[in-house]
Formats: sequence, structure tokens, C-alpha cells
Amino acid sequence: MKSLQAALTILFPIAIVLLIGAAALLAAGHDPVAVYADLMTEAFGGTRRIAASLSAATPLIFTGLAAAVAFRVGVFTVGAEGSLYVGALMAAWLGFTLTGLNGWLLAPLCLLAGTVAGTLWMLPPGLMKARLGIDEIVTTLMLNFIAIGLTTWLVNGPLLAPGAANSSTPQVVETARLTRLMPPSTLTTGFLIALALLFAYAFWQRRRVGGYETLIGGLAPRFAGASGIDMPGLMLRMLLLSGAIAGLGGALQVLGPIGRFVAGFSTGYGFTGIAVAILARGNPFGILIGAVLFGGLSTAGATIQLFSDVPIEIVNILQGLIMIFAVADFGLRGWFARRAGRQAANGGATP
Amino acid sequence: MITEILFSALVMTTPLVLASLGGLIHRSSGIVNVGLDGMMLLGALVALILASGGNWAVALVGAALSAGVAGWLMSLGITRLSANEIIVGLGLNIAIAGAVRFYLKAAYGSSGNLRLPDVSRLPKIDLPLPGPFGAVLSGHSVLTWIAWALVPLTAWVLTRTALGLRLRACGTSAVSSAAIGLHPKRMREGAGFVAGALSGLAGAYLSIGVVGLFNEGITGGRGFIALAAFYFGANRPWATAACALLFGIFDAVQIRLQGRGFPAELIQTLPYIMVCVVLLLLGLAARRRAEGKAASHG
Repeated sequence: MKSLQAALTILFPIAIVLLIGAAALLAAGHDPVAVYADLMTEAFGGTRRIAASLSAATPLIFTGLAAAVAFRVGVFTVGAEGSLYVGALMAAWLGFTLTGLNGWLLAPLCLLAGTVAGTLWMLPPGLMKARLGIDEIVTTLMLNFIAIGLTTWLVNGPLLAPGAANSSTPQVVETARLTRLMPPSTLTTGFLIALALLFAYAFWQRRRVGGYETLIGGLAPRFAGASGIDMPGLMLRMLLLSGAIAGLGGALQVLGPIGRFVAGFSTGYGFTGIAVAILARGNPFGILIGAVLFGGLSTAGATIQLFSDVPIEIVNILQGLIMIFAVADFGLRGWFARRAGRQAANGGATP
Repeated sequence: MITEILFSALVMTTPLVLASLGGLIHRSSGIVNVGLDGMMLLGALVALILASGGNWAVALVGAALSAGVAGWLMSLGITRLSANEIIVGLGLNIAIAGAVRFYLKAAYGSSGNLRLPDVSRLPKIDLPLPGPFGAVLSGHSVLTWIAWALVPLTAWVLTRTALGLRLRACGTSAVSSAAIGLHPKRMREGAGFVAGALSGLAGAYLSIGVVGLFNEGITGGRGFIALAAFYFGANRPWATAACALLFGIFDAVQIRLQGRGFPAELIQTLPYIMVCVVLLLLGLAARRRAEGKAASHG
């Protein structure tokens, strides 16, 4: 019953969104079933396509997890995008500056720098939330725009690759690049790091004290505070952790698929990550599924655009609508509760 | 030079005033609207399509209605399906941007741009003012003057009419306002329509007022600057409009400084930095008040 309920709460919004998308496709004179089938084949038909989808899913696992750890304790950050950008830029900067360093040393150093940068980026909103109770949603949203502006300025001026026309840094040293798992696809060891992080999160949330503290902190903050948990401190720590995860995700994009920092490289990874985290209701396996789904959708969309006239912007509509409907409460939980109540009543009546 | 900058500052301010007043009204009713940017984009497209071979007034009505419905639907999701307002707003922005691109491709076979023949542009009002006043104030479109007329109107409605007081009561406490017989959900949905309609007008100003064509980046994140303006203005219409004007001046100066070695990307982040600073100052002031109260009671 419980798993059925979980499945329904995830599948119901997706079904509604697919219906709305189908209506839009029909209105534009396309066969929705054929378009959806094409999307699925392009996303998951064959090893090479699956590898591409997993590669696209990698940054979304990080941003999804970044959102999930903060949401868990009731901190509604939308700042993963900003941390991702500063993390990526720090990794790229070290990656093309410290050229003399051994790759085995440089790669971890870049990842560490990205993680630290992402963490520090969340320090101001974290302190403002923990010390003064200032709404974190607005501050983290504003910090996203600041991060995008700041990094764009840096790669257009001080860090611009010599001779490059577009806004990007020089390439990261080849030895620091991550290993490709299935060339020619851009799937790198970054995906394995993402999986390891998901496992660590699954273990932590079920088996560690911190997992329990954040759980009750999110469900009942006043009870948690009364039980001796330092709620402001916990919120600050989880927001910093969220920034760290997103910063690492950005650094891995630079050392992995892109190989340098390009202004505006994120196609809204931070925002899609929020949709992933909410759809998954914080469940690590759900985050993986959601990230692969969204990653697959975007690579399939990009491929289909090359050979067909289907307005593949349908993928963006689907993404936005899933975000909206994932947070909507259709009363399913109430329906299940009433049903369970009736069953309990019936069970009590029969001897 | 100065008059030119001030003139273009007023141009840049118009969409900000419109959208931030919409956001302010929605916020007064109890919802933080992050979807202003998307609704602005929708209004810009609808206005251009209706103005092509048509009439600018019809285009304005169409833009306001379509974006108003989007704002109303968004509010429905928040009030009736208890969805998180920020996520719904962000999702709405993504969905509308996708829908706009989808429509451009499906209907016009174009990717992200739209240029239509015979666009009925917003009429400009020439004022016979002397010297610098004329240079700054003359030649603005009707919508600029409507936007500024809406500032005192909004202030008056919010503070002096029953409707405005009820709206603010619903924003202050949904539970208490429902207890005295108000309908906070309906109030928020109505305010959502107004927020959408004003954002739609802001978009229409950009497409048929300023440039006469449409592209998918036409809003340039102005919906988020508008968000910054009503946060900065702490929900007071005149203060919000003043912030919008400040951001408009930034924008105009920034365009002037481009190509002279000034970092445009950094200047563009100023509104966002200011929001964080203001929130910080407000938070510090609130804590000082709380401490003062505690001290006087102790």
C-alpha cells in the first residue's frame, strides 16, 4: 500500500503533464504518441544513448541532492545554480593555472576548490537565515543571478582565454580531466562519484544521527528545538552542505564533459534539480530516477531537433509543468488516509 | 547627455514599475510571485501578434488578459493545490519560456525571434515643455504615463478602500481574515490575475512600445528585477516605484557605459546585491527592536 501510494504520488503529476503536452502537440499538428515514443527511443534506446542520458543526468543528481539535503531540514534553497557556477569556475581556474601539477594531484585539488567555493557561496544566506531568520528563498535566488553575472564578467575579462571569441576560460590541463567511461560518449567518472554520493546520502539519512536530526528538524522544527537540537545551526550546516554538493557538481562538469568554464554553461541545472528533489520527495533512489529522466529528456530533445521538424521545445514545457505539478497536492494523501481509515474500521468490525 | 540618460532611464523604468506594482499587490495578498518574468514574456508575444495589422489598444488588452489568466492559474495551484509558491513561479517561468518557443516554431517556423508586418506601435505623447524637461519627459509612450498613474492609484486602493484593506488583511493572516468572513483564497487568486495583467502590460511595452519585434530574451530578467524592486520597496507603492526608477537609471547608465571598458555584467548584478543588503539591514533592525523590547521589559 505504502509503495503504491509513493508510486502514485510520483506518477500522477507526470501523467497530467504528459496529457497537457499531448494537447499542445496535437494542436501543433503532431502525433503525441509518436513524439513521446521518439523521445524515449532517443533517450534510452541502446547503450550509446543511455550513456548520453546518464552523462546529462550527472549534474542533475548533484543539484537534486543539493536541494534535497536542504529541503529535508525545511530550508527552501533555490541557490544550487549559483554554487554550481562558482564551483565550476574555481575548478576551471585552478585547472588551467596550476599546469605544472601532476594530474593525480590537480584533479582532486580542483574538485576540492569547487566544493569549497560552492560552500562559501551559501555562507551569507546561511548566516542570514540562521542568525536573523531572513527568508533564504529570496537571498539564494538573488545569489544565483549574482553568481551568473560575476562568472560571466570574469570569463569575459580577467580569465578570458587568449584569442577566444566566446566567453570561456582556457582548457583545463588534459591530465586533470576525468576518465571517459564509454568513449565517445561524454559519460565520465563524475557519474560514479554522483552514485557514490547518493549511496552515502541514503546511508546517512537512515543510519546516522544527523539523518534523524534533519528528519525531525524538517517535520517538526519546534519539537526538534525543544529536544535540544540547535535548529539554526542545523539549518546553516545543511545549507552549506547543499552548496558543497552543488559546487562539486559544477567542478565535475568542468573536469568532465566541458573541459573548461563556459559562461552560461548550465541549462538551468539548479532549477531542474529542485524539480528532481521534489518529485523524489527526498528519496535517494527517486533522485537518481528523476535525474536520469530529465537528463534523458534533454539529450533526446537536442538529438531529435537535428533530424525532425517536431517543435522539441515541448521538452521545456514538460520540465516546467512537472516542476509545478510535482509540488501540487492533489489530495491523494488524504484519499489514501481515508481509505486506510475505512479499512481499519472494517477490519475492526469483523471478528 | 544627462537628459538622454534620464529619458532612457524612464523607458527602462516603465516595465519595472508595471511588473513590480503587480508583484506588490500579489505580495500584499500573501503570495510572493516569482513568475512575473514568464508572464511578462507571454504578454510581449501576445501583444506583438495582436498589434500586427491590428490596433495597439486591442494588443494591450490581449496581453493583459492572457498574462492575467496565467497569473490566476498560477495562484490557483498555490491556493487550491497547496503548491509551494516559489517552485510554482520558477516552473511557470520555464514552462512559459518553453511554450513561447514551441509556439514560435509551430506557428511561424522560427526559433526564438518574431518580426511581423504592420505592427501598431504604442503612441507617443509629445509634451510642449521647455528645454531639459521636454527632452526627458516628452515622447514617452502612453503606457509610461499609465504606469506612473498606477502608483498613486495602487497606494490609494491599498490604504483607503475596503478592497485594499481586505486584501492586506488576507495577506497578513489567512486564518484570521477567513474567520471574519473574507475569502483569502479568492483574494489571492484575484491579486494573481492583477499581477499577471500588469506584467503582461510590461511585456507589451517592451515588444510593441520599445522595439517593435519579439525575441525570447526580450525581458532580460526584468521580472526578477521587479521582484527586487517590491522587496526593496517593502510593499509600499511609492518606495517600490522609486526603486524601479533607481534600477531603470542603472540600466540606462549601464547601456551607456558598455563598450567603454566598464563591466556591464557586474553592474547588472547591482539590483540583486542591493536586495540581499536590504534584507540584511531589515533583519538586523528587527533584531535590534526585539532586543530593545526585551531589555525594556527586563
